[in-house]
Amino acid sequence: MNLESRRLVFILLFLLVGVVFVGRLFYMQVVDDKWIERAGEVAKRKVIIKPPRGILYDRDGKKIVANKTYYNLMFVEDDIEDFDTVAFSKLIGISVDSIRQRFVQIKKQLDRKTRSKKTGNDTIVNDYRSYLPHAFLKELSADEISKIAIELPDFKGFYESPISMRDYPYPHGANIFGYLNEINAEELNADRRFYNVGDFIGRTGLEKYYEHSLRGQKGTKVILTSAKGKLVDNFAGGKLDTNALQGPPLHLGIDIELQAYGELLMQNKLGSIVAIEPSTGEILAMVSAPSYDPNLMVGTRNIRTNYSRLYRDSLKPFYPRPLAAEYPPGSIFKVVQALVGLQENVITENTGFPCTRSLVGCHNHPPASNVAKSIQYSCNPYYYYLVKRIIEQNKDPNLFKDAAIGLELWERYMHSFGFGIRPETDIYGLRSGVIPNVSFYNHWYGEFRWAFSTIRSNSIGQGEVKMTPLQMANLAAIVANEGYFYEPHLVKSIGDDGPLEKFKVKKQTMVEAKYYKSIKEGMRGAVNEPGGTARRARINHEIIVAGKTGTAQNPHGEDHSVFMAYAPHDNPKIAIAVFIENAGFGGTWAAPIASLMMEKYLTGQVNNKAKESRILEKRFTNINE
Amino acid sequence: MNKFRQKALGWDWLTIIVVSALLLMGIINIYSAAYNPDRPFLFDIKTLYGKQIMWIGIGLFLGIVISLIDSEYIRKLTPIAFLVVLVLLILVLFTEPINGARSWLGVGPFGVQPSEFSKLTTALMLAYVISQGRVKIISRKTLGLALFIVILTMLLVLIQNDTGTFLVFTAFFFVMYREGITLDPIILFFLNRVLGFRYKETWVGVHFIPVLFVIIFFSIITLYFTESKHTFSFLPGYDVPGWVVLISGITMIALVIFFIAQNFAAQRAKKKIRSVILIVYVVTIGLVGTVSYSYLNVLQSHQKDRIDLWLGKIEDQDGKDYNRNRALAAVGSGGFSGVGYHEALLSSPRSRHVPESETDFIFSVFSEEWGFLGSATLVVLFTILLVRIVVIAERQKSRFSRIYANSVAMIIFYHFAINVGMNIGIIPVIGIPLPFFSYGGSSMMSFLIMILILLKLDSQRKEVLA
Repeated sequence: MNLESRRLVFILLFLLVGVVFVGRLFYMQVVDDKWIERAGEVAKRKVIIKPPRGILYDRDGKKIVANKTYYNLMFVEDDIEDFDTVAFSKLIGISVDSIRQRFVQIKKQLDRKTRSKKTGNDTIVNDYRSYLPHAFLKELSADEISKIAIELPDFKGFYESPISMRDYPYPHGANIFGYLNEINAEELNADRRFYNVGDFIGRTGLEKYYEHSLRGQKGTKVILTSAKGKLVDNFAGGKLDTNALQGPPLHLGIDIELQAYGELLMQNKLGSIVAIEPSTGEILAMVSAPSYDPNLMVGTRNIRTNYSRLYRDSLKPFYPRPLAAEYPPGSIFKVVQALVGLQENVITENTGFPCTRSLVGCHNHPPASNVAKSIQYSCNPYYYYLVKRIIEQNKDPNLFKDAAIGLELWERYMHSFGFGIRPETDIYGLRSGVIPNVSFYNHWYGEFRWAFSTIRSNSIGQGEVKMTPLQMANLAAIVANEGYFYEPHLVKSIGDDGPLEKFKVKKQTMVEAKYYKSIKEGMRGAVNEPGGTARRARINHEIIVAGKTGTAQNPHGEDHSVFMAYAPHDNPKIAIAVFIENAGFGGTWAAPIASLMMEKYLTGQVNNKAKESRILEKRFTNINE
Repeated sequence: MNKFRQKALGWDWLTIIVVSALLLMGIINIYSAAYNPDRPFLFDIKTLYGKQIMWIGIGLFLGIVISLIDSEYIRKLTPIAFLVVLVLLILVLFTEPINGARSWLGVGPFGVQPSEFSKLTTALMLAYVISQGRVKIISRKTLGLALFIVILTMLLVLIQNDTGTFLVFTAFFFVMYREGITLDPIILFFLNRVLGFRYKETWVGVHFIPVLFVIIFFSIITLYFTESKHTFSFLPGYDVPGWVVLISGITMIALVIFFIAQNFAAQRAKKKIRSVILIVYVVTIGLVGTVSYSYLNVLQSHQKDRIDLWLGKIEDQDGKDYNRNRALAAVGSGGFSGVGYHEALLSSPRSRHVPESETDFIFSVFSEEWGFLGSATLVVLFTILLVRIVVIAERQKSRFSRIYANSVAMIIFYHFAINVGMNIGIIPVIGIPLPFFSYGGSSMMSFLIMILILLKLDSQRKEVLA
């Protein structure tokens, strides 16, 4: 046997392996793309960058909700070296014990319950990773961080990281803007694609309503990460990155000067002011009193300090009165009743009713010989007769059935004015008010067990009917517009795109425009004519105000003072409703406040300082007492 | 002067050039694979590349010192070297295990792995033992001694739990095959004395290397099927394990061959064929049984996992298959010309996606950064080196030198084939270093000394060493 030929076995084996390896390498590296994709999966990470929230501007372009940079003091546990707790404690002003506790707390916060698929038992999983950054202190102001930052390089593993938070240049409009708070579990589960634990989300007000616009579009940054998830490099020189897009600015119909003035006038009072531009439905001011400085609710540190105090306040500053407080409208409701009566032809413009005080109390006034005069003098019995005619139209011989038919008709009128249905205004916390209907009374009294006499207090805005201040202001706008309205809204333009579509829809009431003339005349008279109930609402000879007072009876205490108005009479630019709780007759307090607001809006200043100071000095609350 | 030229010509320059090229590539590569931005100086002794260069220096120094010795003395010193390493291999068993293996001997940061040097000394010792015989035909005593040397060292390495090095020792069987060693004395002892056959020689005993390939082939098939479950329409309700199916299949094939032989073979050969079929059948069944049993009951779970992952029976690219998967992704993502030096995404020391990227998986760094061009060059260089060493071996007059050279070729081949093979996914993960590339003092020094002894012996190839 020739053993020397056996070397061929060796050589062939080596050559074979060489060829197989080269072939395999060629396939893996050149032909097959699978491994390049796999490498991407392994090493590439998308980092989400969230933009600062969209800015809010008032109608004059003033920045009213802005962003401010705060700083988190971050650390990466793996990077910490020779940590001098005593020095660190001195630097940040926290005791050594608290520093230790804080580390424990941070870890504990990342405990997460998971249910095992196999056993069905809950187990606690901890998501803390010592190679990832965590915030040691959050939301430090520029001042606070600047004191720390100088010495921070001495503490390896710690660094500062900027974050964007809300800032309010004007300490007003808190109830409109709402506030941001850390996302809760429910919100997080609803949109896991966008939010992460610790993100801030609009919790109330416009911040909540326009959350999807304001939050903007996430950017992505593709980075090369190490096996432990740390950033190593930008991937592909940033070619695959997309920029974060800040949410579009919201241009509000709010006039911040007017809003501020309204809040000033409402100091030491409970109630609401809502002002609307009738031609557009834009809300010019929406005061809820008492309110709070929105800067008190920026960031978790502030919220932790201030939330419970504000929440427990017996005057309820968080309560959005203009939207949610449902009051009997009082006499301003007569305007609606008169319009329905005219449209239904149960009266004409010249119909008069005697002021029969046996029916219902009234005050001394000249006879209400027509509709305009009845508004001007706010005659109560007039409206008993009027609404009786609306409800009892003799469509059915049975008195009770007839009343039901009449009330159904009346209810439809009310809905066409937006009463008893929730406004579509772009804010959360809206309530619908109450328009009692057939089933409402059937429920209380039984079917065909009630008639007009049972429900007659609604005629003058008492009884079961309830409206929110927003609806009252919208009523003023409807009258100013003579029969139509745009749904009241706060944002007149999202970026440059204009308002939401639903705010561009002109809504007609069931009352034709021609019937509004005499009503407007009556409201003008109430302010400007002798015997009018709202003479305190006059501004001057150039700007003619038209308005209607109301006094909402309050079984729990002093009556509420109500006033709605618009001005100027011939070309309304502002419609307003003022509601002061426990302030008595509408003409006394609500009317002058409305007039000051309108003057401020229309002329940019207030000349009647006496009127102003009378209001400013008056207090209806027990604040500070 | 003339004498010097004669001496210089005696050295195999091709081997020197190829090894130098590989060493240079290895240094360049480890400077990337273990790059420490805080210590960019190549010769910084605190970095892996600095140390690797130091090991190369020491290895070259030792190798050159040894090559100053006359070949004849090298041969004569062989038993001493072998015994020293053997003692170290035993001593190492009394150390604390590191990563599950007791392979380090030494104090503090400076330790040696005797198993790395044992390949060198065993190669020398095997050459020494086999070349003792004056005649070509190897005596039974020489065979026994050769097997004893190899198997004793193998066992000591196996006890250390160094499976990779253990496998490398099977390289020596190739060398024995080349030397015409026949395993017949052992096989015939079993067949004739134990089982009562009367054979004079067996084909298997002589050609055990082809048989080895057949065994490997059968083993892979067995590993693939042994655990699986099969259902047959004629056996409803039964899951038949794969090893039962395999044994049944082999039995049926044996029966078919048996009947064919019975009917068509010449009358006088029938008896012999029958017994051959019987023996082959029993051995095959034994093989399937042994492989199945070892695989199912003897192998440690991570070893079984590696085999399953390699065969594609399980997929767990972020778990058990993490290392291999990352290494494959690194190699595969290199593309044609690589991602660039110091630019590796996966295998770079910054990202550390590929574990052990300075040692077992260092090929992935080189492949990712230099792409197909680089990795194919590496494979070609190794292939040239291996073929060249065989050529060197075959031109030796001395049997000692030839055996030693062939051993060196096979050892380097094993390291190269297993290491690169596992980095490109055609061999299961077995942790052994890639010569001249992987970080490690013992392996670097032992490979360099191995090559330098080879070159020294070759320079005296005209002489017959007694």
